[in-house]
Amino acid sequence: MPALEVLDLTVHFEGQDRPAVDSVSFAVEEGTIAVLIGPNGCGKSTVLRAILGLVPFRGTVRVFGGSVADSYRKIGYVPQRLAFDQTLPLTVREAIRMPLPRRPESADEDSFRHVVEILGIESILDRPLGMLSGGQWKRSLMARALVTRPRLLLLDEPEAGIDVTGEQTIYGLFEHLVAQERITALICSHELELVTEYADVVLCLNRRLLGSGAPEKVLTPEALASLFGATPALYLHHHERHRDRQGPTPESSR
Amino acid sequence: MTEALTLPFFQRALAAGLMVGLVTSFLGVFVVLRRSAFFGDAIAHASLAGVALGVVTGLPPLAAAAAFGVGIGFVLNRVERRSRLPIDTILGIVLPFSMGAGILILSLAPGYQPELLSYLFGSILAVSSASLAVIAAIAVVVAPVVLRFRRSLSFVTFDPDGARVAGIRVDRLLLVYQVLLAAVVVASIKVVGIVLVNALLVIPAATAKLLARSLEQMFLLAPIIGVGCVSAGLAASYALDLPSGPAIAVMSGLVFFAAWVCVLWRGRLGQPSRAPSSPLAAPKR
Repeated sequence: MPALEVLDLTVHFEGQDRPAVDSVSFAVEEGTIAVLIGPNGCGKSTVLRAILGLVPFRGTVRVFGGSVADSYRKIGYVPQRLAFDQTLPLTVREAIRMPLPRRPESADEDSFRHVVEILGIESILDRPLGMLSGGQWKRSLMARALVTRPRLLLLDEPEAGIDVTGEQTIYGLFEHLVAQERITALICSHELELVTEYADVVLCLNRRLLGSGAPEKVLTPEALASLFGATPALYLHHHERHRDRQGPTPESSR
Repeated sequence: MTEALTLPFFQRALAAGLMVGLVTSFLGVFVVLRRSAFFGDAIAHASLAGVALGVVTGLPPLAAAAAFGVGIGFVLNRVERRSRLPIDTILGIVLPFSMGAGILILSLAPGYQPELLSYLFGSILAVSSASLAVIAAIAVVVAPVVLRFRRSLSFVTFDPDGARVAGIRVDRLLLVYQVLLAAVVVASIKVVGIVLVNALLVIPAATAKLLARSLEQMFLLAPIIGVGCVSAGLAASYALDLPSGPAIAVMSGLVFFAAWVCVLWRGRLGQPSRAPSSPLAAPKR
């Protein structure tokens, strides 16, 4: 049974003459990292928001075979941005604990300590959220998403607003979570180099699903040119180096 | 001053003030965090229509205002979710309409209406046993509900989408919040009056926000400050023969400025804006 199954998903916002997402179908197997790529405005974030039930849609979404409404405890979500008052005296500790029950059980406390440890945020637990750097902020949001021990993690551009080292750390963490804790991750991303390195499956989206599969099969210069209108030069450079290292028939880069 | 505590009218005033100060400033934390001070103001002004209906029909004015205010809170929640207009525009329509309606209804009642001034500017020292019962009923209902849903409401305030994903019924919770807010606003009308209602709803919570280093501290400090301001304002009003509502409002303002100066003195004020604010935290619209 796939961790996530999306069938014929269509999102049509009121007042727009064409759907933002049109008849998109895909499945993500348990314990894998799937990455949605595509140009700005292609509907990546909308797909995530539809899966979470945050925007109205037509089609079917199943999480571990059940409806999303019955699976909220199995899903963790890390948004790209949050519109909140930066003078809010909300500490990292309080923000992470928010999804936990009012009277947490010992398993919840264990989970809290575990996510704090794997994300390395012990030193900032009592700091207000408005005082964090980009990387600290992203880790705190990830800790909040992970504290309920979800089996499916949805992340909207987790690399946005953080530096190269931070990107590697965050994606390395996904790899760890998938390998050690059998978490499934669906990620929206612009970072093709990171996608090549960490994704098991790439989903190419431009309102419709244009292709999907292993990165080395899907992320060809021709496919990227078709998706983005032009082949991203930096990615090509990396892709060629990667191919040189791996030989003429590259295996999965993970 | 101690002799005042033996007087029945002062005992009623103190009881009403403490109850209102407690629940209003506690719920005020969400008013400040959600930036919905105008909502409280609009409910207070709209309640004048309820007061007027009470005066004209002979019903207890505060009970009529409570029913009217809670009804307005419920309607505003529904309209906000279905209308394309932003909430401040909706409130800008509801506020003058219902206040105007209230004054028109009062003009139908024969003779001078001395009670009107007491509802506009508060008359805690003249609070009756019936009004005290209404205030107590509101406090008894509101306090446990807010305590019960404090964490969920904080989550919804900080990140509504995240709260939905965590399984919180956000729309239902916001409806409960707005109805409770309407109820405590009406309860505070007798204490500080329609015009000064934000003195209790906003100032103690804003003062607590200045001083607090965590949300838990803010929830702890706001009611302490609210109760302190009401008590001090009431004492000043009795001792100096001042109108009670304005005395409480001015006391709340003085406490806020004192806290602000203290924080400024300690170099804490403005820290968040000087800090390396996260590029991922979009400014709240």
